[in-house]
Amino acid sequence: MTALTIAIPSKGRLQDNTHDFFARAGLPVRQPGGARNYRGRLGRFEASQVEIAFLSASEIARELANGQAHLGVTGLDLVHETIADPETSVHTVTPLGFGFADVVVAVPDAWIDVSTMADLADVAAHFRARKGERLRVATKYVTLTRRFFAEHGISDYRIVESAGATEGAPAAGTAELIVDITTTGSTLVANNLKILDDGVILKSQANLVASLSADWSTEQLGFARIILDRIAAEERARGFREIRALVAAPELTARAAGEQFGAIAPFGTQVGQPLLLHCPAASAADCATLLRDHGAPHVSVTTLDYVFGTSNPLYDPLAEKVGS
Amino acid sequence: MTLPDPYASLRDLFQAEGFPAMEPEILQPSRLFLDLIGEDIRGRMYLTSDRAGEELCLRPDYTIPVCRAHLDGGAPETPARYSYCGKVFRQRQDGAGEFMQAGVECLGRADLEAADADTLALSLSALDTLGVTDPRIHIGDEALFRAVLGGLNLPAVWERRLGDLFGERDRLDAAIRAMRSGGAAERDDTSSAATLARALEGLAPDTAQSAVAELLRLTGLKPIAGRSASDIAERLLEQAALARHDPETDRAADVLTRYLAIAGDPRASVKTIEVFAKDVGLDLTQALASFSGRLDAIAAHGISDASLTFAADFGRRLDYYTGFVFEIHSASRETAGQIVGGGRYDRLLALLGATAHIPATGFSIWLDRI
Repeated sequence: MTALTIAIPSKGRLQDNTHDFFARAGLPVRQPGGARNYRGRLGRFEASQVEIAFLSASEIARELANGQAHLGVTGLDLVHETIADPETSVHTVTPLGFGFADVVVAVPDAWIDVSTMADLADVAAHFRARKGERLRVATKYVTLTRRFFAEHGISDYRIVESAGATEGAPAAGTAELIVDITTTGSTLVANNLKILDDGVILKSQANLVASLSADWSTEQLGFARIILDRIAAEERARGFREIRALVAAPELTARAAGEQFGAIAPFGTQVGQPLLLHCPAASAADCATLLRDHGAPHVSVTTLDYVFGTSNPLYDPLAEKVGS
Repeated sequence: MTLPDPYASLRDLFQAEGFPAMEPEILQPSRLFLDLIGEDIRGRMYLTSDRAGEELCLRPDYTIPVCRAHLDGGAPETPARYSYCGKVFRQRQDGAGEFMQAGVECLGRADLEAADADTLALSLSALDTLGVTDPRIHIGDEALFRAVLGGLNLPAVWERRLGDLFGERDRLDAAIRAMRSGGAAERDDTSSAATLARALEGLAPDTAQSAVAELLRLTGLKPIAGRSASDIAERLLEQAALARHDPETDRAADVLTRYLAIAGDPRASVKTIEVFAKDVGLDLTQALASFSGRLDAIAAHGISDASLTFAADFGRRLDYYTGFVFEIHSASRETAGQIVGGGRYDRLLALLGATAHIPATGFSIWLDRI
C-alpha cells in the first residue's frame, strides 16, 4: 500500500500558514531532520499512511495535475496558470484564508489616457499601427494573461516572460506593461504603475486542492476522509460560538435564535435544562442579548475546538469526484 | 522497406504546375509566429528553447517559414513559386498534435486577379487528386470592404479600428454599434480618460501634445515605456473623435451594415454591390472591376459560378491578408471544417522585412480532414 501524499509549500510565509492550518486541525506537520528533509509526516499517521512532500508552490500545482500528489496547498493563481484544464484535473477542497493576492494588469501611471482594458485594447492597436511592433507585456502568468487578454479582445501584444522583479520591466524598457501578483499594490506604486479599473484577472488565495488524476485507493480515500473530517470540524467550530443559557421556553427561544441569527440547537431543547446553541460567531453577542430578552439571567459564550457532524462537507464532494 | 507515399500524386501535380517542393526547418523561432499571428497562437504551439535561450517552436504553419526562407534566399523580388507537403504541429483539443498539410505559395506575380484564379484552380486540382469530388467554395474580398470603408470619409481612427476587425463579424458588429448615436453608452464616459479626451477635443495636435506634456510635468508623472506625451495626446484626440456621434457616423454605420449583409451567388452579388454603391454614393468601380475580373479568370478555368458562394463579411483576422480569400469545404463532410484555406497576403513579405512590395497568394490543404 502506498501512502496518501500531501504536497505543501517548503518556504516562507505560505509554509508557516500551512503548518498552522494543519496544526489547528490537530494534525501537526512533522519534518524529521529539519528543513533539509523533503519528506515529512502528518499528525499521528505512520509514514506508510500519509506522507508530506515539501515543494515550491508552483511545483505543487504541477504535481497535482500530474497525479503525483493526492492533496496539496497552493494558490489559485498557480492552479489556473500551471494546469491546462483545472476543471477536470483538480478539485478545490477549501480556501484557506491566507496567501491572499490579486493577479492584475498594471500600466505606467503616466498613461493618463488609459484606465480600462478597453483603453488598453485601443492603445495596443494604435501602438502596433504606429510603431509596427506589438506592445510587450512582462509576466510569469503567461496562460492567465493570454486568456484574459483574449476575453477583452486584445490581440496586438507580445508576452515577455519574466521570472522575477516583473514590476521593474517598464522602467527598464523591456516591456510596456505588466501582469503580476500584488497584495497591497505598494510595489506597483513604487514602480510608477497603476492597476486598470477592470484589470483584476484573479483574486487568489491559498487553497487545499485535490488531484483528480491521482490514483485513489480505498485506503488513501480513507485517510483523506479522516484528515478532511478534522479540518471541516475545526472550520465549522471556528465559525460558531457555543452559547448556554437557562430560559423558560427553550423551544420558542431556539426557534427565534434560528430565524434571526441562524443558530441551531444541536442537542435539542428540554424544559428545565440549559439551552445550548451553536451560533454563527459574528452574531454571538446579538444572540446573547436575545436570550436575555427571553428571560435568561445568565448567558455564557465559549469558543469551540471541533464540531463533527454526520455529513462531511469537504470530503463528500471529493469522494463523489474520485469515487467513480 | 519504404512505405508508399500517399501524397505522391499531389507532389507530382505541384511539381508539374511549376511549384517546386520546399521543406523549411521544423524548428523555427517562435517570435516569427507570435509577431505575425499574435499571442493567441502561443497556446497552440509546441515550444522549446535552445542553449542560448532563444525560444523555438515546431512549425505550426508552412506559409510563414516558406516566405521567410524566400527572403533569406537573396532574390526577394524575383517571382517565385513553392509547394510543400509535410507535418505541422499544433496543440489541439481533439486530434493529434502533428498532422499533414500541403499547399503552395506564389510570390511576386503582378497579374493579381489571374494569380488568384490560378491559385484557386490549383487547389481544386489538388483536391481532385485526393478524391474530393464535392467541393464547396466560399469566397470573400477584403479589398472591397476596404474600398467601402475608405469611401465613407470617417475619422482615421474609425477607419483603422473597423479595418482591423474585418473577418471577425461579432466584434465588427459591436464596433459598428458603437459608432451610432447612443452607442457610446458601452464605454464608461465618466472615466478620467474620457473626461480628458473631451477637454482636449478640437485642439490642434501640437497644442494637445503640449497640454499633455505640461499635465505630466505638473503631476510629476514620468513618461516611460514606449509611449511619449505626443502618443498619449494623439490617442486622446482620437478618443474625442470616437466619442463624437453625428448624422455622418450614423449613416456610415448604416452603409457598413448594409454592405456586410450582401452574400450569395458572386455574379448576382456584383450587381447588388453596384446598386448599393449607387444608392449610397460610393465609387467602388476599381474594386468591383478587380472582383469581376477575378470571377472571369476563375470561369476561364472551367470552374462554374454555381460552385462559388460570396460573402461580403468573409475575411481573415490575420492582418497580412489583403484581398481575395477562399475556403473550401467538402459538401458531404461539412462538419470536418474547411479542407482548404487560401487567399492573397500582400502584406506578409513586408511584415517579414522585405523592402519591396511583393504580392503573394497561396493555399493550404488540411490533409487530415480528407
